[in-house]
Amino acid sequence: MKSKITTVLMVLLAVFITLGGTTSCKSKKRLAREAAEAEYKSKVEQATKDLNAILDDETLWSLEEKEARVKTIKDWNLQNAEVDDLIFQVEKKLARERAQKEEEERNKQEAQSVNATLEKNFTSIARSGSVSQANRDINETLKLFESPNVPVLIIIKQNAGFNDYDRPTTIENYLNYLKDQKKATEKVYDIKYNANGMINELELIKK
Amino acid sequence: MKKIIATLMIALCVVGNAMAQEEEIDYARKQAIDSLALEKVRDLSKYIKIVGSKETPFSEANRVIDRAEELFMSDAEIGVSSLGSNKITYYRVRKYFEHLMRLNYDRVEIEWYNIEYVSDLQRQPDGTYVGVITIFQTFRGYDKEGNLTYKDTTKKDITVYVKRKETQIGGRIIGFWDVLLGDMRVKETTNR
Repeated sequence: MKSKITTVLMVLLAVFITLGGTTSCKSKKRLAREAAEAEYKSKVEQATKDLNAILDDETLWSLEEKEARVKTIKDWNLQNAEVDDLIFQVEKKLARERAQKEEEERNKQEAQSVNATLEKNFTSIARSGSVSQANRDINETLKLFESPNVPVLIIIKQNAGFNDYDRPTTIENYLNYLKDQKKATEKVYDIKYNANGMINELELIKK
Repeated sequence: MKKIIATLMIALCVVGNAMAQEEEIDYARKQAIDSLALEKVRDLSKYIKIVGSKETPFSEANRVIDRAEELFMSDAEIGVSSLGSNKITYYRVRKYFEHLMRLNYDRVEIEWYNIEYVSDLQRQPDGTYVGVITIFQTFRGYDKEGNLTYKDTTKKDITVYVKRKETQIGGRIIGFWDVLLGDMRVKETTNR
């Protein structure tokens, strides 16, 4: 009799343990699923918020930071139609911004290159050993300009909000001035180009 | 109403700024135009040297004369003296340079030095700044054997006029300081 009771108790214990273990496992899985769902939901919300902010220019992020953010969101692989649509729009917007930035950097580099060329030519004309050599340098420099009559403005002093200029001259007269005076005391401040990429206005500033 | 007040305020600021530019200028701006006027006189000295040099091609000399003429007021005159005479002859600028080109020497050296203000630029009632810059010029003339045949040193006073003007370039108004040289008067000629 005692042995039977013991056996029944053992069996009941085994059933409890088995049932209890199964219930606990199921609960853990549910919790994990709920946590995953919460995380997914949070990521979708965050992604939607960030992508909308980028689209509406409501962030202070640099272009690189915005691109990095989009990459992170794509890496989450959320497979959410709204997020995917936003990613598509943001990528198009960032591609335009990237192209514009590259264009600006190219223009800046080109401008720096033209500035350097002009300043080198100015020095070369001013230091030329002969009139004929100076004239050759002048003709070479004039090729960068729309015409020999392109206006040249020389800033003699910068003040709060406006510049004081010397009497405006033309590029041909300015280059001859460098030749005559044998000094190049101005550096390039600003250049304006026509549609053909030729300089049509030059602004210099006293060094 | 607020818009009208704002517009009036902006208009007053613009007019005020323009008037400020017309009125007395600050020390730094004054220094800039002082330097600009001195630079024009130094430029003139280089032009005189180029035109006086017998090595300068005729076409270059004529181009330089055009540039030099632009430095002066239209009726300005340049005084010429010599050790052999007490007479000082005044020439219009172009005539002076043509005379300089035709000097009867095989080689000419002209040096300007001690270029400085004797009378600082002073604002006149019409807004023009007027001052006097003095220069010393040493002239040396050589014959074809290279012998120095004439030398003198002349002290000259040049009146300078600086006026603020405006011009339109590329669709915008540019305010600039126009420096013009007036008469160049002989003060003293020595054989030093």
